[in-house]
Amino acid sequence: MSLKRSAWVCIAWLAVFSLVLAACAPSAQPTAEPPTALPEQPTAPPEQPTAPPQSAGAQRLVMLDWAGYEIPEFWGKFKKNHPQVQVDFSFLTESAEVFSKLQSGFEADLVHPCSNFWKILVDNNMVQPIDTSKLKNWPNVNPSLAKQGEFNGQQYWVPWDWGYESVLVRKDLVEKVPESWADIWDPQYKGHIAINDSGEAAHVWASLALGLDPWDQTPEQYEQVRQKLLELAPSVLAYWTGQTDLDQMLASGDAWLGVGAWNASYVSLLNENYDVVYIDPKEGRTGYLCGFGIPSTSKNVDLALEMIDAYLAPDAQAYLANEYGYGIANQAALSLVKPDIVKLLSLDDQDMLARTIFYKYITDEQRQLWANTWSEVKTSR
Amino acid sequence: MEHPRRLFALIGPPSVYLTLFFLLPLGIMAVFSFRAGTIGEARNVFTLEHYRQFIANAAYHRLLWRSSLMAFGIASISTLLAYPLAYFLTFQAGERKLTLMTLIIIPTWTSYLLRVFAWKLILGTNGLLNTLLLSLGIIDQASPILLYSRTAVMVTLVYVWVPFVALPIFAALERIDRSLLEAAADLGCKPWEAFLRVTLPLSAPGVIAGFFFCLIPTLGEYVTPLLVGGGQGAMYGNLIQDQFVRALNWSMGSVMSLAMLLAVIVLLVIFSRMGSFSKLLEL
Repeated sequence: MSLKRSAWVCIAWLAVFSLVLAACAPSAQPTAEPPTALPEQPTAPPEQPTAPPQSAGAQRLVMLDWAGYEIPEFWGKFKKNHPQVQVDFSFLTESAEVFSKLQSGFEADLVHPCSNFWKILVDNNMVQPIDTSKLKNWPNVNPSLAKQGEFNGQQYWVPWDWGYESVLVRKDLVEKVPESWADIWDPQYKGHIAINDSGEAAHVWASLALGLDPWDQTPEQYEQVRQKLLELAPSVLAYWTGQTDLDQMLASGDAWLGVGAWNASYVSLLNENYDVVYIDPKEGRTGYLCGFGIPSTSKNVDLALEMIDAYLAPDAQAYLANEYGYGIANQAALSLVKPDIVKLLSLDDQDMLARTIFYKYITDEQRQLWANTWSEVKTSR
Repeated sequence: MEHPRRLFALIGPPSVYLTLFFLLPLGIMAVFSFRAGTIGEARNVFTLEHYRQFIANAAYHRLLWRSSLMAFGIASISTLLAYPLAYFLTFQAGERKLTLMTLIIIPTWTSYLLRVFAWKLILGTNGLLNTLLLSLGIIDQASPILLYSRTAVMVTLVYVWVPFVALPIFAALERIDRSLLEAAADLGCKPWEAFLRVTLPLSAPGVIAGFFFCLIPTLGEYVTPLLVGGGQGAMYGNLIQDQFVRALNWSMGSVMSLAMLLAVIVLLVIFSRMGSFSKLLEL
């Protein structure tokens, strides 16, 4: 082999290798899905999955959960009752990961996806029905949220956390605060819109702005939505991918409108004394709901149920609302939540909750269609 | 029999590593690219549908082309900036060579994200650049136009890559036998002629290595466009990520990754044919 040839082979290998690294990198990137907890929150390191020598009776509970929810404040009760059980956390960055991990054989005892992924997991027999009579806190769970976890007459999901998506506005920088999702298209905001980098969410907002049902559209209506989104692209300053990302853009004044902002962003910017308003759009805020389910493969169903009950305990739920600003499922916990948080987020306002448009299950086709349109929008400039 | 065994000991570990973590995943990705779907039964159906869709989708081609041009531009600018740097270090820095070299490398010890983020602080609405231009009266209203654009992606990536491109060029320049330059001078070469006819050709392998070090990862770049690219900065790598994570369409993601692989190979072939680069490598 000549030196020339080997040198080129060398370069070619390097090329191909770095390419693969580049191609692999994205999957490891944490991406935005509403329930990723605040990164600034003090989080305890996850329990190490090292297996200590176990006595015959020792057990292990595997959680597939969002980072930030592993701290003992959320499951102290379980820890107290079962000190011998080793609890291991594996973290999610996307609800979709619950599906792909279970599909590839990952054995978890509890999973925590959001409602748009609930049906697909039920349909593929990946989770089992839950015996709610074994949950002490179940009677206090908000019935309208619980209803969303019911499929084929059985309860598959226990709702735990929810939140709004709306437009967070730097009041001091805009001339007029938008009043609806449709107002985002107003040219006065051009170049100052930071919108969540999610094709699914963007599709829902554009549909609402057009007065269409996001989840049931004719091809003509879908084309209208697509055009509407393409129309927005030139006005977009940036596509945000995580809460800190958005908070920072709003704080610096680069962005005036944070489209799709979560409760937590509102709380965090208010705490830093920015003049922001979290609007109540005419069409209704969108909302996400996440909760626990037990995979069909779990061999620790009773322990898993106890763990769910611990997470549902009033003090654990109140901690979630007070520290993270998220909505909670257990109504008995509301009295423990700071009054200003309750008021700020209308946590006790059943009317607001009823007007909130929660994400629905989407088919594989819809997911791909919407994602492709979103790619087209993002690359249209 | 001694020789082959030693050879095997040398190339064994990297070969195993490459096979396990590179060739195998690449093969798996190739299999994915033919699957009809990611979920359920569709995984067992094999089809060329995603290739057809990729070929039919002009937006993908446009973005791949645009990303290639950006990567090419970033690699070229980085190389142009890195060469004088490496030249200075080799021939002018003298005893301070090591100190200066370390200074160039020190920023790379901090997190990559942190360095990219720093550019947001420089280019943002209330950033250093806007503040400076405002106080000089060159602009009368701060705006984030410098950030959230393709230009910002290029500026940031050039900044990130210059030290890495400089290293192989520096190594190549260091290896040049100084007596060759003296001989050139003796034979009547002016300094710039000696540079063009001796130094530059002899350092070409370093230049090429540096150029490709920068070009290839940049083509698949994902994080930087996300952070500073804003509404117009999306690169091809971001689209691949969307297919894998958002659309749950691993097949299309695989087709797109393979297409990028092909693009890089084409680039390599074009370069190896162009000019006398490959000849220079024989030196």
